[in-house]
Amino acid sequence: MRRVITGNQAVAYGVILSRVDVVSAYPITPQTTIVEELSELIASGRLKTRFLKVESEHSAMAALIGASTGGVRTFTATSSHGLAYMHEMLHWASGARLPIVLVNVNRAIGPPWNIWGDQSDSVSQRDTGWIQLYCENNQEVLDTILQAYLIAETVRLPVMVVLDAFVLSHTAEPVEIPSIEEADSLLPPFCPDYPIDTQEPRSYSVITTPDYFLEFRYKVQKAMEEVPEVAKKVDDEFRSRFGRSYGAIERYGKKEAELLLMTSGTVTSTSRIVIKKLMEKGLSVAGIKIKRFRPFPSEEICEVIQGAKKIAVIDRNLSAGVGGIFAQELRASLYSREERPQVFGFVSGLGGRDITPALIEEAVQYTVEHPQPEGDILWLGLKK
Amino acid sequence: MGKQITFKRESEMPMISVSLGDMEWNKTGAWRTQRPFYEEKTPPCSAACPAGNDISGFILKTAKGDWEGAWNLIREENPFPGVCGRVCFHPCESKCNRGSFDEPIAIHALERFVADFAPRLSKKTGKAGEKRKEKVAIIGSGPAGMSSAYHLARLRYDVTVFESFPLAGGMLRMGIPSYRLPRDVLDRELSNIEALGVEIRTGISLGEHLKLEDLKDYQAIFLSTGAHRSRGLHIQGEKEKGVLSGLDLLKKMNLSKRIKMGEKIAIIGGGNTAIDVARSVIRLGKKATILYRRSREEMPAFEDEILEALEEGVKIRYLVNPIRVGQKDGPKRLECLRMELSEKDESGRRRPVPIPHSNLFIDADYVVIAAGEEIGASFLPEGAEKREGIVLTRRDGSTGIKGVFAGGDLASNQRTVAHAIGSGKKAAMAIDAFLQGKDAEEVIIQHLIGEGPSLSIFGYLHPGERLRNPHVVTFEELNMDYFEPAKRQGESKSAVKERIKGFNEVSSTLSEGVALEEAERCFGCGTCNECENCYVFCPDGSILKREELFSHQVDYDYCKGCGICFTECPRGAISLKEEAK
Repeated sequence: MRRVITGNQAVAYGVILSRVDVVSAYPITPQTTIVEELSELIASGRLKTRFLKVESEHSAMAALIGASTGGVRTFTATSSHGLAYMHEMLHWASGARLPIVLVNVNRAIGPPWNIWGDQSDSVSQRDTGWIQLYCENNQEVLDTILQAYLIAETVRLPVMVVLDAFVLSHTAEPVEIPSIEEADSLLPPFCPDYPIDTQEPRSYSVITTPDYFLEFRYKVQKAMEEVPEVAKKVDDEFRSRFGRSYGAIERYGKKEAELLLMTSGTVTSTSRIVIKKLMEKGLSVAGIKIKRFRPFPSEEICEVIQGAKKIAVIDRNLSAGVGGIFAQELRASLYSREERPQVFGFVSGLGGRDITPALIEEAVQYTVEHPQPEGDILWLGLKK
Repeated sequence: MGKQITFKRESEMPMISVSLGDMEWNKTGAWRTQRPFYEEKTPPCSAACPAGNDISGFILKTAKGDWEGAWNLIREENPFPGVCGRVCFHPCESKCNRGSFDEPIAIHALERFVADFAPRLSKKTGKAGEKRKEKVAIIGSGPAGMSSAYHLARLRYDVTVFESFPLAGGMLRMGIPSYRLPRDVLDRELSNIEALGVEIRTGISLGEHLKLEDLKDYQAIFLSTGAHRSRGLHIQGEKEKGVLSGLDLLKKMNLSKRIKMGEKIAIIGGGNTAIDVARSVIRLGKKATILYRRSREEMPAFEDEILEALEEGVKIRYLVNPIRVGQKDGPKRLECLRMELSEKDESGRRRPVPIPHSNLFIDADYVVIAAGEEIGASFLPEGAEKREGIVLTRRDGSTGIKGVFAGGDLASNQRTVAHAIGSGKKAAMAIDAFLQGKDAEEVIIQHLIGEGPSLSIFGYLHPGERLRNPHVVTFEELNMDYFEPAKRQGESKSAVKERIKGFNEVSSTLSEGVALEEAERCFGCGTCNECENCYVFCPDGSILKREELFSHQVDYDYCKGCGICFTECPRGAISLKEEAK
């Protein structure tokens, strides 16, 4: 079925098709319409899912931790301050190895107060032990939800699916919606490892002395290390059923290009146009879309940058004192390699400001003209 | 008991920190610095009960539907639950901790309920076993004398009670009208005492028919002759025909003697006797007017009684004081002065002073003077010292004469039924101690409830069983999170027009359902009722249920002394003390 739907509706369809048992959420713009859609379906009786009303995002995640421990499939959605408020529980979900799926609609964190998109909310949570998958369009949003449950329940780690505020969340585009039978054939029911059983009572997440804590974290890391292979299998399976796949990253444009442009989220869509235009002008340029931010796809990136001299990264986020997070992660990935292209770290589009084709072209132009960047942060579109 | 599980390598470990065995190997009790323990404490109602009733104990049993158990528990301390449930001024209720939350428990109504319902279920109380050789004589069969007789019989003494009136009961029978205390209730409780082997000899008056010297066969004597002599007003005309003391009038009515008194009765005084007279007179179809020299606020009669009297048509004229009863024969003309209140006197009430030239006249067919009672001292043996209108006794109730004890109204100015019952119990314990060569004062002190003066005989009769803890539970020690407001249930009263037709009891005993509801309101201060809060809240599973014993126990192998049980106990039945180092 093909329908014209918003990104948030695509999320709701993904949740419905995943046969989620428990949804708990607290409203926040621009996420609200996701759970609005779901709660209305539940209230009308058309969707047999439990909706837990809570007084905060912290409680929403805590409720899902309980439900997931109990052995059911769970979902929540949030943005910005809501995600920040969940922070403690995000650690708990991954430490307890619960395959919860969360949709974060990227939104800047105030002050100044702002409801528009940037990635500072989700990248702030990069160290919480969650898998993070960024989406470029509404089709990818729906597909990623289905993939997310399969990945999460295989490696026993929670997944955060990320989409841009308004540009995706509130913008409608045609989306192919799988049937429930198709979704069921991809996604088997969730089987918990240590289900709650009154006949065999257990304590969960109990205190662990220094004797063993390190080993539990080691296991989390090992699970993260399984993700690239598992996610690839899931993606391949998905392609075989639906004809669509996304990879951890995607390279497009000229093969063996000297200059690469690395982006994530909807900026990639714009970049595709710019890259095409510059290629037509004869520039040796290609694009890299980062879909999976955690675990960071270092190997996948290194495989596709052979021969590149420079990589321009556009970060829609800022870690003050360092710069753009994606650029930082890339630099760290390249460090151990013999062949290390120059990384140009552009920061742009914070608080929802449009990253226009002209701005992207300006970034590429700068990278072409400079043998090396003039600093760790290159401000793109700053009113100087 | 499980063993501690250890892992050598990470691959042996579960994916998450989940329990794979139990923690019994880890005796966390060693961490404890504070020790919680179950400790039954004294509720304020019990400490306030002059008769020493185990109030929360009997209410707890009532709440469980164990009315016979409740009845037996009351009678460990007091043979008169049916009487007290009706006529006691229930100081327990004014001390009830529930009063600081919503309304106090209707303790008197529950006591009455138990006394009325349980005997229907219960077999008659048997005799107390083979009697000792010592004999005790009790002079006066009022609440003090009969309470003393009851406990002495339980202590297996050969007890004889001498009563000057033709019927036993003392002031309970002579002073209290039957609409407040039906005679069958009194008779039932008196006969229960007699059933223990107590002999009551009526029509024998000390001084007149009997002298102390005649009682040589008795190893101990308890004087409980009460305060039967009415105080006069010392005004002109009060000795004339047509003027009678309130107590004498009540006695006459209670002995079913007819009195010619006309239609309009004036009653002088503001105490319970004045109210009793007025309400009795109304029931005979006459008009009753009470004349009181102070205002409503100073009236010593119980508030409920005043309200009921007013409902029934009793008129009360405040701030008038008779100075002369006019006319020798026929209808009386009382000459009175109007009064006003000045500064407080030694009793804490505002002193009435006459307004000069305010004389007024009140006509009445009959005048009743109810200005209080005093002890008739003429019969008192030599050596029994009197001071401030009462017989002087030591703390154990002993008088100046060896082997002679005194109690009740005779030896106290706190002249209530409950105080009399308490003093009779004290005398029984003191007489036993005296006869057995024990230190009576020491015995009394050991068995005080709270800080006293209320006294419990339970621990004395059952050595080794629990003594009443001196710790009286305060409201602040309770946890109000566990209680919801609930309306106090009281007795219902019959309609005024029915009431004044005769001497039927005004209020009715609670129904079973209502009694259960009311009993369930009791906080049970200081008494574990197995609510299981401790069991539920203990984070270490260290509260052990001992179902066969209907109690709980702390498992000190594991209790860390966090004190949550102590905090969450709604009723202060758990204490916390520092662990010995």
